[in-house]
Amino acid sequence: MDPDRRSQWLRGVLDLCVLGLLADGESYGYELAQALTRAGLGPIQGGTLYPVLLRLERTGLVATDWRAGEAGPARKYYRLTPAGEQTLRAAASDWRGFAGQVGTVLETAVK
Amino acid sequence: MQDWFDVFRSALLRRGVPHATVRQVVEEARAHTGDSGEPPLSAFGGPEAYADAVVASLTPTDPGRTRAPRGDVLLRARGITKRFGRRTVLRDVALDVHAGEVLAIVGANGCGKSTLLKICAGMVSPDSGTVEIAGRVGYCPQDGGTIEFLTADEHFQLVGAGRGLGRADAREHGRTWAGRLDWADPGATQARHLSGGTRQKLNLTMSALSEPDVLLLDEPYQGFDRGTYLNFWDLVWAWRDRGRAVVVVTHLLAELDKVDTVLTLGESR
Repeated sequence: MDPDRRSQWLRGVLDLCVLGLLADGESYGYELAQALTRAGLGPIQGGTLYPVLLRLERTGLVATDWRAGEAGPARKYYRLTPAGEQTLRAAASDWRGFAGQVGTVLETAVK
Repeated sequence: MQDWFDVFRSALLRRGVPHATVRQVVEEARAHTGDSGEPPLSAFGGPEAYADAVVASLTPTDPGRTRAPRGDVLLRARGITKRFGRRTVLRDVALDVHAGEVLAIVGANGCGKSTLLKICAGMVSPDSGTVEIAGRVGYCPQDGGTIEFLTADEHFQLVGAGRGLGRADAREHGRTWAGRLDWADPGATQARHLSGGTRQKLNLTMSALSEPDVLLLDEPYQGFDRGTYLNFWDLVWAWRDRGRAVVVVTHLLAELDKVDTVLTLGESR
């Protein structure tokens, strides 16, 4: 896949993907980066991921707290707020509609 | 070589990110590189560019720096005359400074610039004339103004108490303002051990901390290096853009393109 186009697409949905991952439970930055990679969306650079997390925090879609891990440094944990859950639900259905429309146009073209 | 995290930290502080937020963002980046084993430069890119990205995420998306239109007159002086012995230093001086305006007072040494500023601040009485100020006034002297045996944090607490801030809040606000002047670690050093330039940063930080409506600055940048000097003007413009009235006494004519209005003293004598 054309990497430029791929990263352009990803930029439009990375915040929603992060919300989606957090629906499974709270997590911290590096763990989210790994989960995105496992989902086939990686690698996501820290320089891309953390600004997205900060924006989600500022707009109240996620809440955070700092906790020490069992081993290693204190980590900032992110979890969905009710507003975040609502946004995620709405976005999931918007995305389904949007992806369907794009798919229809592209598939009629290649037939 | 300077540590990436140190550069990143002071880059955030210079951009006016609150001290507590800076600490968290830096800690989080550090934890990330610890977990991933990736060097910070490859995970986050250059520290200055990454600081810009962080600031953009922390800032609501309305257009960045919008300048408030010039508002009401916040400082008005009329007919100010001051004599020292037989010498008339100020004769019938008038000035108006509006909300959202920067006025520079210029003139040769001994023409009364500092005296006029002190009269506006209410620290010196004129022989005749009136000064009216709408709101609170903050004054930053050319030197002095700091207390030798107090630390920077204690200065912040002292000034903060004057506007009802708790100790922790006052420290936080003070360190944030200091960071904008590229002073990353105020904290526990007593004022008497600070360099002249750093004391001036402390003075300016205290003026900012009191959140005045009218700011009177008497050549407060002496001893600043070039970078801090530019940060100082950024700060002045930020105050102006938030609708403060700012008066800067200066003898540097090169500054004058940085201000809205210029008052030249000592011309007609």
